[in-house]
Amino acid sequence: MSKFPKFFCVFSFAYFLVVVPCVEAVKLSTNPVSFNRDIRPILSDNCFACHGFDAKKRKGGFRLDEPEGAFTPNKDGNMAIIPGKPEKSEMWKRITTKDPDESMPPAESHKKLTAEQKQLIKRWITEGANYQKHWAFEAPKPPLVPKVSSPKASIQNPIDNFVAARLKKEGLRSSPQADPATLIRRVAFDLTGLPPTPGEVEQFLADKSADAYESMVQRYLDSSKYGEQMAKHWLDVARYADTHGLHLDNERQMWAYRDWVVKAFNKNLSFSDFTTFQLAGDLLPSPTAEQLTATGFNRCNVTTGEGGAIDAEFIFRYAVERTATTVQAWMGLTAGCAVCHDHKFDPISQREFYSFYAFFHSSADPAMDGNSLRTAPLTQLKTPEDDKRLQEMDAAIKDSEGKFNGVLASVVYQDPATKNPPPAPREDEVIWLDDEGPAGWKTQTPPNFVTAENGKVFSGKRAIRRQAADVEQDVFDSDTASLSIPASSKLFAYVYLEAANPPKAVMLQFLLENWEHRAVWGDIDAIGWGEKDKPSRARVGDLPKPGGWVRLEVDPEKVGLKPSDKLKGIAYTIHGGTVYWDKAGVVGRVDPVNDSTHSLVAWTKQYEGKEPKELPENLRSIFKNTSSTNRSPEQVTQLRNYFLSKVCVEFKPSFDPLNSALAEAKKKREEYNEAITQTFIWRDLDKPRESFVMLRGAYDRPGEKVTRNVPAIFPPLANTTNATRLDLASWLLNPQNPMTSRVAVNRFWQQFFGIGLVKTADDFGSQGEPPSHPELLDWLALSFRDSGWDVKGFVKLLVTSATYRQSSQVTPSLLARDPENRLLARGSRFRLDAEQIRDNVLYVSGLLETTMGGKGVRTYQPPNIWEPVGFVGSNTRDYKQDTGSALYRRSLYSFFKRTAPPPFMTSFDAPNREQICTRRERSNTPLQALQLMNDVQHYEAARALAERMLSEGGATAKDRLVFAYKTVLSRAPSAQELVIVSQALDSHLIRYQADPEAAKKAITFGESKARGNLNVTELAAYTLAANLVLNLDETVTRN
Amino acid sequence: MNPLLDYQFQLNRRQFFGNVGLRVGGVALAMLAAKQASGRATASSVRVHPAQPGLPHFAPKAKNVIYLHMNGGPSQIDLWDYKPGLQAQFDKDLPESIRNGQRITTMTSGQGRLPVAPSMFKFTQAGKSGHWISELLSHHAEIADEIALVKTVHTNAINHDPACTFVMTGSEVPGKPSLGSWLSYGLGSENNDLPAFVVLTPTWSSKANAQALFTRMWNSGFLPTKHTGVALRSGSDPVLYLQNPPGVDSADRRVMLDALGKLNQRGFERFGDPEIQTRIAQYEMAFRMQSSVPDLVDLKGETKSTLEMYGEDVTKPGSYAASVLLARRMIERGVRSVQILHRGWDQHGDLPREIRAQCKDIDQPTAALIKDLKQRGLLNDTLVVWGGEFGRTVYSQGKLTKEDYGRDHHPRNFCMWMAGGGIKGGVSYGETDDFSYNVAQNPVHINDLNATLLHCLGVDHSRFTFKSQGLDQRLTGVEEAQVVKSLLA
Repeated sequence: MSKFPKFFCVFSFAYFLVVVPCVEAVKLSTNPVSFNRDIRPILSDNCFACHGFDAKKRKGGFRLDEPEGAFTPNKDGNMAIIPGKPEKSEMWKRITTKDPDESMPPAESHKKLTAEQKQLIKRWITEGANYQKHWAFEAPKPPLVPKVSSPKASIQNPIDNFVAARLKKEGLRSSPQADPATLIRRVAFDLTGLPPTPGEVEQFLADKSADAYESMVQRYLDSSKYGEQMAKHWLDVARYADTHGLHLDNERQMWAYRDWVVKAFNKNLSFSDFTTFQLAGDLLPSPTAEQLTATGFNRCNVTTGEGGAIDAEFIFRYAVERTATTVQAWMGLTAGCAVCHDHKFDPISQREFYSFYAFFHSSADPAMDGNSLRTAPLTQLKTPEDDKRLQEMDAAIKDSEGKFNGVLASVVYQDPATKNPPPAPREDEVIWLDDEGPAGWKTQTPPNFVTAENGKVFSGKRAIRRQAADVEQDVFDSDTASLSIPASSKLFAYVYLEAANPPKAVMLQFLLENWEHRAVWGDIDAIGWGEKDKPSRARVGDLPKPGGWVRLEVDPEKVGLKPSDKLKGIAYTIHGGTVYWDKAGVVGRVDPVNDSTHSLVAWTKQYEGKEPKELPENLRSIFKNTSSTNRSPEQVTQLRNYFLSKVCVEFKPSFDPLNSALAEAKKKREEYNEAITQTFIWRDLDKPRESFVMLRGAYDRPGEKVTRNVPAIFPPLANTTNATRLDLASWLLNPQNPMTSRVAVNRFWQQFFGIGLVKTADDFGSQGEPPSHPELLDWLALSFRDSGWDVKGFVKLLVTSATYRQSSQVTPSLLARDPENRLLARGSRFRLDAEQIRDNVLYVSGLLETTMGGKGVRTYQPPNIWEPVGFVGSNTRDYKQDTGSALYRRSLYSFFKRTAPPPFMTSFDAPNREQICTRRERSNTPLQALQLMNDVQHYEAARALAERMLSEGGATAKDRLVFAYKTVLSRAPSAQELVIVSQALDSHLIRYQADPEAAKKAITFGESKARGNLNVTELAAYTLAANLVLNLDETVTRN
Repeated sequence: MNPLLDYQFQLNRRQFFGNVGLRVGGVALAMLAAKQASGRATASSVRVHPAQPGLPHFAPKAKNVIYLHMNGGPSQIDLWDYKPGLQAQFDKDLPESIRNGQRITTMTSGQGRLPVAPSMFKFTQAGKSGHWISELLSHHAEIADEIALVKTVHTNAINHDPACTFVMTGSEVPGKPSLGSWLSYGLGSENNDLPAFVVLTPTWSSKANAQALFTRMWNSGFLPTKHTGVALRSGSDPVLYLQNPPGVDSADRRVMLDALGKLNQRGFERFGDPEIQTRIAQYEMAFRMQSSVPDLVDLKGETKSTLEMYGEDVTKPGSYAASVLLARRMIERGVRSVQILHRGWDQHGDLPREIRAQCKDIDQPTAALIKDLKQRGLLNDTLVVWGGEFGRTVYSQGKLTKEDYGRDHHPRNFCMWMAGGGIKGGVSYGETDDFSYNVAQNPVHINDLNATLLHCLGVDHSRFTFKSQGLDQRLTGVEEAQVVKSLLA
């Protein structure tokens, strides 16, 4: 529940009872000079670079940024400033001298003081040269809400008192409230990013109750679209995107962070939790998935995986970027300057910068992102459904293991080597591939298995059919299998060539270290791999006779294999034709006593003292660390079990299906688990890195060692020994901190009024602009903080103010007086943001798909946005557009590739998310015009809107055009507007009647199909009329 | 006329064009026709997008720039920095006294040794200037005396992404405006129908994996976004969304725009917001671009001899040859800067074969561009810049034979050249050591080079600033940069 209303009560009481005549505005020239308002900007711009905070760059021993420096004589005994005596002050002499060698600022700085600036400085010195700490570094003090005698309607809450008092001083008046249709459209766009529906407009217009406006606001605040609109702004601050940003710019998976931001606004997470979760969620006791996801804030930075890059350099850069981003996002300061030297304008020394940086220097993420979708640390975001499915799969694995163990327990095995008399050597066939492949086998493309009912089968229940135009393969390989080649053996496989369609050649291929082992029957040139007539492409015989099963046999030596080689895979290859394959393996002379696939003793012997890489880790270590004489019974059992279930030919028929089933069950679980969404999170290294001042900002020049701390100009950290990011977050939220709340409320103000009270929302330092309404800013900052950082409450406070509700109509004289509307004598009017422009046309045309969250979608994008810039090996080089409803999702959910962002975003001033952006430009360009007229997304929406006009808009052209205006602009057209649009519509109708072919084309642009029941000519003409309405300045403007 | 409107015009803070935007249609079209007839836009009084007040700072020698960026880092040793003495060093280790402990990338830092790979290509002297030029660039011999060659350019970054960002924006960290955006912002546009800053990304012939480009190389960074480079594309939509949708022709658009202009005008009368006027003007410019851009990319008017000069690739849309010819056509039409980014120069291995293919792409067309600009009297007004983001090492990466070697990244010295307005042709500036590994004399940092380039355009780099994040930001960075006077005419 918002805590703001209590303010309203107190203050509205005040306006009713107290009507105090306002003091006449005092002329500026008789006001005492204020250091912060009048002098600091001049000094900061012209003097501080050489006479400021940066001791190394300080010239002549003069320091002007603080009284201690200015009033102390330098080594020559001169004082920069003698309060009250400009003529004796070195500063005054220097800025007024005619001597070019003495003159300040020096000519080479290209800085120059104006006559007025000089006079101000003189007056300031005369009045005593009173210094003030830079305004933003003083904690806000509760200001007195000014009492004003304005009419009741123009004072809705204390914001209006501050604004009205200032207007009065300037001799201006506020504007009347905007008309209700304009108001609801303004509120709807500001709170949800979408226009109101005609129904919502009607409801609001019909509501005559006193709180009609507030209930309307509340409806939009309660909408889940509110979170999407608010998130859009924060994602610019967080520099969120769907790719890594540097070099390959591959995809990264952290959209859960984006969705978290939306949810946080929708559930009205307090700004304090919003801060703590993002900066230190991982350090909270037993952090929830939500808190961990939030720490993604500082994993959103651009990272590289570029070959050749130096790790230390990027570890350093990431920490610098995260520090600067945090400082700018929460404190509105540009700390980046202090990376290389003491800040010239603001009191942040290089040492202090690196002390702050030390909070972010121990991130556990690697210097190289590996160009992978997921770069640790990560958290997996399981849904309850995922948990259920995983449990089921675990049960399936357990079941398979149970069966496996049952069979293993029942096996009766006697080693042939221990038999008496020992069995004689014999001819033996080992099958590698029949109805199943080797244990754990994988295929590149699933084989087309056939049964006797729909094909030819030689052995078992099924065979593989392959029909090819050119060279095609069925490949089976396995990480765990080792198909061992016995002495004097032959490799074999059965094949059946379709008589009606025989291939040019058939080939068997074997995987040892690589696949360079090929045996070909038929045309040796048909399949071009390997070297002709070498083991990598050996011709074994003619093409087998078609129309029957033929056994292919090849001597292992011919394809570069020898006895005791262990194969990992086999492939069937053909060139053209139709072929069936069935049963492959090896036949050879086997001596069970000495053969490692029959005798456990023989199998064990070959590995003694070695680390065979084909075996699992536990067995490898047994062989490496023990000998046959000193093994524990468990170790002996482990070896025996492995041998019997995976190696011994005698039990192969029993174990093969069990091995396959178990491997399959495990694979299924792994695949499922792998597909569950993960997201980048922050975790510190177990052992924090030591941090140093890096000389001149070079990653390889560490200087003095530093520990975590905050700049001395601010209140101290509560805990300075082993301070954590959690301490940092509480420090930011501490009531003594002068920055956090001001910076946050100013950004909200900017969002709702177009320009912040501090115009430079990214810089509250001395190079930034001072606030237009300092007392209002402080009042807002304190109210926000004291409300428990209630964001929705604060937003409501802003949009229910009379200041917000003013009409934006402007007279020439007011425009001349205040072109940027900094005094707030009128409502604000500005172009919609990129996302809103696109969402708007989708919404009014009925195309918008409102599903929330999930992986970024690939909407319409012209060809060759990604391709011409993408690295050849990048997985975001080729843009594959989505189809269906994904094309019509809200813009927030479109996939954002940083090195080539979507044009619908960048053409309309969205940042490319490579670094923090707290303030978007609002440009007005011909490329925007082209896009709004011709982009398939916009044009298709025009057609969809035209369909609505024709189907829902009434029977006459007039009704339909009124419908379009009401839908798009929340108002009916004026009579003159109607005439203009009707004339355009008529001429389009005439033109398309004359050229029905063109009409047909004009309604087919885009993926969605036009409704079939509509007249094509009419629809084409209405499409252009809709295109006209959607291109109106008023359509793309929030007024 | 409405007095409010008249008044607005005086105030229009974006300084849009006189009153052309108001009389939607007729006047705008007439203006377009007049411009096409005269070829080059001149009347600055109707400039949509004028220069910043006070700019240029002094009389410029050049008005426009064509920047030929060879992406990946071409080998200075095989193209421009002639080192005959290296032949005797074949396969010997790079002396430690030369390497001097300098950092090298992790691609070769793990290599057992750093064997010297002399260039396998012949060099000959060309022109009165006597520039030594590799046989790979034989056509460049014809323009040798136009070129001011800098052999000692150096940069801060050792990997592609930061180095490309640095060479184009003066900063390794993304977010700063590119050179072309600075020029568009500072000097404005001479043409109301085309963007001030155009980018082309031609095809290339190297078969190896080409390095990526980044749109930040032509992004406006903290400058207003209208200064972002417009990528000119090959194919039917040379500028994004230029073409009308199917079934909609230019006359339909005119009808729609006439109505749109009138309706927006009414909005302006209601709200008095000058942005509405700007929007009206921008729709008109969009309409004009729909004919001016196709006209620009249509090479039908070029003579056979011109086309032949650029070489056979010139008729292949999207080729480097076609791109440089388009660059000339844009300069003729008053486009402020054209940036051509030719990829494929990152030759870690198989260098001789790859660089041959790359040089074939660029050699004849680049020489033709200079000659063509000159014969049309445009070279005086146009600064042409050629170079990559860094150079390559004298030692081989991977296998080394006389005919086969690779080279790693080398930021410590590489070659770039400039020609045209303000430049003293035929100059060779700076010397490297015998291994082309260190600057021996007259280093030129990228920031110095950019300062020099701005100087040719009448801009003092130290005064050319934009306030962002509390600082007076500039293209040439914080550290003091120097104009290289020896390169100036």
